Amino acid sequence: MHSSLYVSVLIALPMLGALVAMLLRKTPGASYAVAMATGVVEFALTLVVAVLYKTNIPGAAGAAGFDFATRHVLSAPLGLAYDVSLDGLSLLMVVLTGLVLVLALWGARDQRREPAFVAWLLVLTGLTMGSFVSHDVLEFFVFFELTLVPCYFIISGWGGKERNRAALKFFLYTFTASAPLLVGILYLGFAVQHQHPTQGLSFAYGTLMGASISHATAVWLFVAFAVAFGAKSPIWPLHTWSPLTYAEAPTAGSIVLSALLAKLGSYGLLRFAVGLLPLAMTSVRPYVMTLAVIGIFYGSILAAVSSELKRFVAYSSLAQMGFITLGVVSGSTIGVTGAVLLMFNHGVITMAFFLMIGFLEKRRMSTQIADFAGLQRPMPVLAALFTVTMLASIGLPGLSGFVSEYLILIGTFTTHAWWSVTAALGVLASAVYLLWAYQRVFHGRAEGANAALEDASSRERWVLVPLIVLIVVLGVFPKPVLDRISPSVHTLVTMVATASVTK
Amino acid sequence: MAHLAPLIMIFPLLGFLLVLVNGRSLSDRATGAIATSVVGLSFLASVACFVLLLHDKSREVSINLFDWISVDTLHVPAALLIDPLSITMCLFVTGISTLIHLYSTAYMAGEKDFRKFFLYLNLFVFSMLTLVLANNLVLTFVGWEGVGACSYWLVSFYFDRDAAASAGKKAFVYNRVGDIGLLLAMFLLFQHTHTLTYLSIFSATSSLSPTVATLVVLALLLGATGKSAQIPLFNWLPDAMEGPTPVSALIHAATMVTAGVFLLVRMSPVLALSSSGRMTIAVIGGVTAFVAATIATSQKDIKKVLAFSTVSQIGYMVLAVGVGAYGAAIFLMVSHAFFKALLFLGSGSVIHSLGGEQDMRKMGALAKWLPLTFPTFLIGWLTISGVPPFAGFWSKGDVLTNVFAHNKILWALGVVTAILTAYYMSRLFVLTFRGTERFREVTHQHDPHESPLVMTAPLVILAVLSVLGGLLDLPWAHGFSLTHFLSPTFGYVAPSAAQSTGLQTGLALVDVVAALIGLFAAFTIWRDRVESDTFEKPFFEHVWRWDDAYDATLGRPLTALAHVTSDVVETRVIDGAVEGLGGSVRRSGEGIRKLQAGLVRQYALAMVLGVTVIVVYLVGRVR
Amino acid sequence: MTLTIPSIHYLVILPVLIFFGASLVLLIASAMWRRSVPQVVSTTVAVAASLAVVVVAFFQWHELDKGGATTTVAHAVVLDGFSVVATAVIAVCTALAALVAHDWLRREGVRGAEYQILALASTAGAMLMSQANDLIVIFLGLEILSLGLYVLVALDRRKTESAEASLKYFILGGFASAIFIYGAALLYGATGSTNISTISYFLGSNVVLKPGLLVAGGALLLVGFAFKIAAVPFHMWSPDVYEGAPTPVTGFMASIVKVGAFAALIRVMVSGLGTQLATWRPIFWALIVLTTVVGAALAIPQRNAKRLLAYSSINQAGFILIGVWAADERGIAAALFYLATYAPVVVATFAIVAVMGGLGDERHSIESYRGLARRQPWLGAALAVLLLSQLGAPLTAGFYAKYSVLASAVDAGGAPLALIALLSAAVAASVYLRWTVVLYADADGDDELGESRVVVPAGTRVAIGAGVLIALVLGVWPGPLVTLAQHASLYFLP
Repeated sequence: MHSSLYVSVLIALPMLGALVAMLLRKTPGASYAVAMATGVVEFALTLVVAVLYKTNIPGAAGAAGFDFATRHVLSAPLGLAYDVSLDGLSLLMVVLTGLVLVLALWGARDQRREPAFVAWLLVLTGLTMGSFVSHDVLEFFVFFELTLVPCYFIISGWGGKERNRAALKFFLYTFTASAPLLVGILYLGFAVQHQHPTQGLSFAYGTLMGASISHATAVWLFVAFAVAFGAKSPIWPLHTWSPLTYAEAPTAGSIVLSALLAKLGSYGLLRFAVGLLPLAMTSVRPYVMTLAVIGIFYGSILAAVSSELKRFVAYSSLAQMGFITLGVVSGSTIGVTGAVLLMFNHGVITMAFFLMIGFLEKRRMSTQIADFAGLQRPMPVLAALFTVTMLASIGLPGLSGFVSEYLILIGTFTTHAWWSVTAALGVLASAVYLLWAYQRVFHGRAEGANAALEDASSRERWVLVPLIVLIVVLGVFPKPVLDRISPSVHTLVTMVATASVTK
Repeated sequence: MAHLAPLIMIFPLLGFLLVLVNGRSLSDRATGAIATSVVGLSFLASVACFVLLLHDKSREVSINLFDWISVDTLHVPAALLIDPLSITMCLFVTGISTLIHLYSTAYMAGEKDFRKFFLYLNLFVFSMLTLVLANNLVLTFVGWEGVGACSYWLVSFYFDRDAAASAGKKAFVYNRVGDIGLLLAMFLLFQHTHTLTYLSIFSATSSLSPTVATLVVLALLLGATGKSAQIPLFNWLPDAMEGPTPVSALIHAATMVTAGVFLLVRMSPVLALSSSGRMTIAVIGGVTAFVAATIATSQKDIKKVLAFSTVSQIGYMVLAVGVGAYGAAIFLMVSHAFFKALLFLGSGSVIHSLGGEQDMRKMGALAKWLPLTFPTFLIGWLTISGVPPFAGFWSKGDVLTNVFAHNKILWALGVVTAILTAYYMSRLFVLTFRGTERFREVTHQHDPHESPLVMTAPLVILAVLSVLGGLLDLPWAHGFSLTHFLSPTFGYVAPSAAQSTGLQTGLALVDVVAALIGLFAAFTIWRDRVESDTFEKPFFEHVWRWDDAYDATLGRPLTALAHVTSDVVETRVIDGAVEGLGGSVRRSGEGIRKLQAGLVRQYALAMVLGVTVIVVYLVGRVR
Repeated sequence: MTLTIPSIHYLVILPVLIFFGASLVLLIASAMWRRSVPQVVSTTVAVAASLAVVVVAFFQWHELDKGGATTTVAHAVVLDGFSVVATAVIAVCTALAALVAHDWLRREGVRGAEYQILALASTAGAMLMSQANDLIVIFLGLEILSLGLYVLVALDRRKTESAEASLKYFILGGFASAIFIYGAALLYGATGSTNISTISYFLGSNVVLKPGLLVAGGALLLVGFAFKIAAVPFHMWSPDVYEGAPTPVTGFMASIVKVGAFAALIRVMVSGLGTQLATWRPIFWALIVLTTVVGAALAIPQRNAKRLLAYSSINQAGFILIGVWAADERGIAAALFYLATYAPVVVATFAIVAVMGGLGDERHSIESYRGLARRQPWLGAALAVLLLSQLGAPLTAGFYAKYSVLASAVDAGGAPLALIALLSAAVAASVYLRWTVVLYADADGDDELGESRVVVPAGTRVAIGAGVLIALVLGVWPGPLVTLAQHASLYFLP
């Protein structure tokens, strides 16, 4: 068991960085430097944590594998506590958060390097970090809700033409959707408290696990949770905020939203909806899986016909989220492990996509697919990098996307064959829309402005290289990562299985 | 062996990385030299492994490299399986690849993306070797997809031509359809045998019920039809001819497209469990062979003819697999690799000499201009036509003999296909090398020039191989035959040996007659014709309207669906509902606001109403 | 007949006395002074009085710890944790409101001490309501509170709206008072007493065979309160009055009046009629749904800051009512916590509105806030924080306020109610956000008022600062106040 200090620092550091960045806002470039330094340290720290992480920590009821844990009650009557820990489910997300912070800052366009912007970005990542390490459901909710505020200001402050509409829609959509979540959490908490009136109100993960609720209640609570997390992920049909938002947000904003905040949804679904309401699983699983599969094809279809690159990525993410959701509820250790891995991989892949789209936007002041053609001739390097990312997204073996997608499909097949078979067709769909988009943008003859484009600058290359390396390494040698994920997943899955049998 | 075998794969990878890392600094010559030599080295390594394997009693060596994917009950090592089958594949894959690399150094000279070409080519060889050497299905799938990706890159090599770009995409997508089959096969096998390693699966076949086995076989067949261009997924291969000719020779004739057959042979112990599955395979193979042959009779483009001939020949191989004649299938695969590579490279030399012209109507009488290409091509032509004593005669004969023993109808179909094969190849030969000169306006009155030595040398070598290839598996030399060497890896072998030599000779004669009929017909028709409406049916020329059928049944409906989804469902229905909800709240706000007219009496009235409602409710409730 | 003077525990009624005293002192002073009393003096007196009351509240709390809750003046006035906290909150808000009013009066050049005199008197009324243990005393407090307000609303003589609003408030307020006293009479008829504890004992020990009278009385009392706290459908006066009244007065009404009214409401409904919970809960349920939803929905189309805040405060009142609906320790504590955090925040908000109103107190369109945060970062940030707190964003006091009332609702088995309220909060959120966006929008100054910087006088600064501080500190560290609210239980709970 390692000290919880690591995790607390992970949360505090970005906040601190934001503060310093704001204090130094007068001196040009200083705040960006501070932010960058904070980001690098933060990321390094996440890696340290990832290496230190021990899976074999005997914890509370069915909560083995929680390292770096601590719990301080802030307000007993409110049941409010600061309670953090890490396990295989959150570990990757934590690393991803650090990575996203660094690259979002690094990849951000020069005019985006205002003090306020980087400060908001730091705050946002700090809050996201907080929600990933929260081991107390109420605490998670607080962080989860708080992320909306910086998001809102980043989008409305530095977004595109329709930024205000996009920001408001995003905020209201997710805010409204999370209303049932809060009520659900409260309900669960009081259910436990009414069972044991002696012990005070508490929303600790382990405590809520012990809630003995009827099957019907569990189903209702699951719905309440799923609405909130589904809107965040997004899961079809709660996705309609995402195309507008991704398209209007600044590149760094889109990166954080799609690579990080979306994962909050699927992570929450796995940790809290599935983890706390195992009773409901047997009856809700078919519906969730159906929505997931619909999402896969729906997203693919709309990605195929979308005429703008950011919307294209938004819809392809919807499809990918379908795979993740499928794995999350698959009820098989293999499938869930794949889902957790895909959360990370999709984060990396979509980050690379948005960065490259940002580079194109910087050059042509447009993200309309129709404005591009034959870019592979003037910018071969970017084309190559894009190809690798694309193939990883398609799920080409040897690249990261395959491992996770394969695990999800084969895992789901062992438990729910037909959904897996249907989803497998989505593998075809992804090839269709991605290759078609690639052909329209990079193939063909480059004329006019397109022919004059200069290739990725060295800075742009160095932003992308880490991602490409990750894509390849995780495709060829995912073992260390999988070994860290699967024990925790196994604990969760077996817990769910036993609960749904016994109760 | 354990240290030697990985080298087979490592060399091409090394070449790939070398060229990738310092691509800029290398000259074209150096690039070509590196790329070719690494493949050559990998060939030598294969030979060494082959020798070692001959002295190995078990004939099965597994080499574990590292633990790739390992979650819960799923364990997928990165491990190699060296056995007669894989080593045979290695030998001819690396051998042919070396020749074609060599050929390409000259053929691709002066290309803008020369380096990239060899980058892809080396990566392809690496993937292909992964495919054949893997000891489990997932690793095979890695190679399977890898060759697919390389094929995508190489087909769309001239990406500024839309045709090339689309062809690459089409190839990848069609393969993807097959891949789903392979995935499903893996899923089924994992669920029932809890492993994906070949040898473990084979030892656990008892746990596969007939139904499951049949499903697995059909799924594998789907995968094979994608990769090996069989019905219903065969029509990507002709488009793939958009790629440079060496690519067509290597990937779309000799090696990659045979991967499907390899997979089926590899899984023969599972095939053994399902006779209905094998029957389906045989029918698919036979029909594909015939259909493709008919199409080949009416193509104008020299490479298209060869492409469809490839499809047809692979059809033979699949047919052989279907009747359980795995040895025959591999034999045909190897010899086909020889003569089809020869033909493609020959056609490449022809196209090269005519500055890129591929239309046979603009060729003719090239025999005297291409002193080396002509004789080698002649050999290739005779070989594929099944004229003794060339390799094609023996391998095809082997297949047909086995088919005859198994199913007379399919055998008849095979013979008809043989006639057609001889016919369309002779047509190609006549139109290209005989007849009158029709290429002058293409070459701007220049004389066609023979290709340089680096291009012709491979032709000669391949020609020799095509002549002698038959020796690999002479019907009466069972002791030392390829089939005998391979047999330990097969789960079930057709009773071909049970046939009397008399019958075999009879069948062989039928083959010869078929070949001669085809040749004669072709010469009589095409000696003084360039094109003919009677003998070039548009239906055949347009691939039995296959693409149109797909477009009508899948393409257009799906496009329509996509647009409906994006224009109606997304914007109107789903997002419409969301926006509508928000709007309705706003409007209701405006609506109630109307009541707020600022008049005291109204407010008082509202209060009174409120009071009355409450009081009435309460008093009513307690009564 | 001999008149027996009941024993009086003066510490209990000291706050009321202080406010009355201060008000009287100023009244006499302004009568004797040659020219009108300088604002400085009157404001100082008001603030001093408020601070004195805060100190007294501390002593009262100490007294509680020793002797526990007591009643005095023939059980008509009560000293319990609830009343003490309410007293403190009211006192603090009065001080802040006095400071805001001071600067406003200076700016508008209104002479004389009327404002402070009336405000102090009204405060005394509110205080009495929060301590009253007898329907008559509550009515007394209600009337003292209201009479002062009627005049205060009309304070801005230059504006007809001001007078009109006052008239409306007067007429409807009178109407409400009548309803209230009638309800009190009916309750007396039903239970034979106007003392809340007695009523409660009576209802606890006897079974009312013909409860018609009882419930009718309770209903009428409820309506009387519903009017004061502006619960739908008894809210209609509030937007007009909020808009018409001088901005500091609006702030005063939105905070102090609400606290007093809610305190009395809780005492009557929970302490007095707690046994009849089953009877009146459905009505509250309906009232809450109406109040939260209608308040939020009507806030959307508003373009005037004061009207917008009026509707927002209606929505907030709905939330506080949730705590009353729960009607247990958790619920009451939640309601109290909500009041304690909301009142100062709303005072500060109206303080900003007051300064933004500019000379003449005219500029209240949301548009006039465009780019405020760019011109005056601190002022803009302050308003943003105050709005976010009312929105209920985490890390602001508003979050825990909303959270605790919702928690109490869920605890009492009202999950659907909580959900509806929360959804209304989402609607309200859009309103606050739109305002916040305007604050941070870059001021494309097509009109000069987009550019002008407003001066924020010292007193107003303090008020705003206090509000922001409370919103933030309690947002990060709510523990102490929550615990306090938990201990601030009612003198009597059935």
